[in-house]
Amino acid sequence: MKELRDLARQLLTDGTVEVVVGWQSSARGARPIFVDKPEEADLLIFDTRCVHNLATYLNPRRKQVTDLGKLALVVKGCDAKAVAGLLREAQLTRDRVVLIGVRCGGVVEEFDAPVPPEISAETIMPRCYGCDNREPHLVDHLLGDALPEPPAPLLSIEKRIEALEAATPEQRWEYWTAQFAKCVRCYACRQVCPLCVCERCVADKSQPQWIETASHTRGNLSWNVTRALHLAGRCVGCGECERFCPAGIPLTLLNRKLQQVVEERYEYRVSDDPEVAAPIGEFRLDDQQEFIK
Amino acid sequence: MTDVLFLSREQLAALVADLVAADTIVIGPARAGGPAIPGLEDRQQGVAKGAFGTLEYREVRSADELELGPGMPRLSLKQFFLPQNEKLFSWQQKGIAVEVQAVPTAFAPRVILGGKPCDVAALGIVDKVMNWDYQDELWNARRAATTIFALSCGVEDQHCFCTSVGVAPDSTKSADGLFTAVDGGFLVETTTDLGREFVDKHRARFAEPPGGAVEAGTAFRAAALAKVRENFSFNTERVHDWVENHFEDPFWATLGVRCNGCGACTMVCPTCHCFDIVDEEEGVGCGSRRRCWDTCQASKFTAHASGHNPRGDQIARYRQRVNHKFAIYPTKFGEVLCTGCGRCVRTCQMGQNIGEILVAIDEYAQKDTQ
Repeated sequence: MKELRDLARQLLTDGTVEVVVGWQSSARGARPIFVDKPEEADLLIFDTRCVHNLATYLNPRRKQVTDLGKLALVVKGCDAKAVAGLLREAQLTRDRVVLIGVRCGGVVEEFDAPVPPEISAETIMPRCYGCDNREPHLVDHLLGDALPEPPAPLLSIEKRIEALEAATPEQRWEYWTAQFAKCVRCYACRQVCPLCVCERCVADKSQPQWIETASHTRGNLSWNVTRALHLAGRCVGCGECERFCPAGIPLTLLNRKLQQVVEERYEYRVSDDPEVAAPIGEFRLDDQQEFIK
Repeated sequence: MTDVLFLSREQLAALVADLVAADTIVIGPARAGGPAIPGLEDRQQGVAKGAFGTLEYREVRSADELELGPGMPRLSLKQFFLPQNEKLFSWQQKGIAVEVQAVPTAFAPRVILGGKPCDVAALGIVDKVMNWDYQDELWNARRAATTIFALSCGVEDQHCFCTSVGVAPDSTKSADGLFTAVDGGFLVETTTDLGREFVDKHRARFAEPPGGAVEAGTAFRAAALAKVRENFSFNTERVHDWVENHFEDPFWATLGVRCNGCGACTMVCPTCHCFDIVDEEEGVGCGSRRRCWDTCQASKFTAHASGHNPRGDQIARYRQRVNHKFAIYPTKFGEVLCTGCGRCVRTCQMGQNIGEILVAIDEYAQKDTQ
């Protein structure tokens, strides 16, 4: 923690950046903080409650953040993947941000705790299990000690996908229509997504209207399926969409399944290396295309 | 205080059965559920948040489904009066003419059993805007068709602040009656003619309270009131004046910068009532006009056809939310547009905390006057 605060203070004092975006401890547990004064650097923390993907603040849609000038951003490995996604898609230039990487041993599901909970099978954020980027590469500074690998959660995302796949198509249809029926179409999933970068979302277009605004089955299916497919091969699996969903729709299941499909079909695994092109952004002669008859 | 009656758990079950048999729609807090798939536990967001998120208000067919205890449903009661999407009319093209079909504006009788007092109070506050320059026929018809019994609340958690905004854990504001849980059942009071008529009609289900029940109910309510007051408090008048006079203030930038504009706070809010009206085609030459919930936190909400957006960033949009609730609405309608349920706080995944914000504003206001 001390090295994080010292570094932030230094970056602000010597004018390298205008603002350091990291986490603070509040009455709502850990939450994002924008530090613009060197004397406030001591408010910064990093612990198991720091679940939020702060890379979302680099999204060009966040005008209130882009207006602040050059930023330093504290990133976990998963967050760094999202930064790489923005760089890969030319939504961000590397010189706009100083990346402070933190070594991570997993975060907990519930950030709203007065003190950082211990990581255990009960508390672990399921997406942290099997994480391949606990030490971000795409960073200017790397802080913290190497931490042990996080334990398996009580029920892993993979196990849940297996359960879903074991069900009949009718059961799955019934399950997803019931899940999507809860959707209130606030688009929180889109708003928080670091990689939903469209200036004007397809859901906001009314002439023609591609996706119905009303939250009936048809409208909700087209929104949720479109969102998932637009993120296929781009989604970094940070799980913020599911965390933000006020209706509690398990969006991670869709995202993870699509990650599996992309990996299987294109041998692509999302990383924090912006130089590796995503399948959606590149054409290869050896792409599998047996579906073209 | 009106006469207090007692409704045992058994008689509640019988009452719900009577209502269902008479085609009255019964709505109350119930466990959120849906089709299950073996091995796929429906991991609701916020599992660790305890009861929040595991309950929902929905139609129930039997009292077994009702969860009349602690726990705050994820969404408020507003969905039953202002549905997330609501058909206003349909059209069908016939040659060069267009036939317009109205929607029914009469609703089957409904009873809400166990609404949170904060959720129930919200309905009366929103009534004012729904009957201001335009009488909203659909809202009013649904209100008229619904008898509401609130349930004395034991206070959910540290984010509750109903007493700061003129509500209380045992408030009967906008309610026709109040349930208070005691051993073996509920104390029932009525506060309106609608409530009294309901109880008279089902009088056989109600009994005189058993010994000690009234005292237990009073103690429960007093404890809840003390508990919510311990959380935090602010003065809405001072907040109103400060907000009204500080449209331009550096304070707003410190709030809006964190906000992602996801609008989840407005969706779960019992008093946020803004909507969008859309025409949706449902085939060739036919379709429906619908109104759907909208949110002031979305940039599209204020986007002009010219391309100009008067609320150009999230700082302006977040200020709008606080402004509308604590300055504009009270100026216009005499009540703050908030019932202190704390849902926006529990829902915000970036840790935005309206309680903390209002306390800070109140402190600024007090410093200003010193």
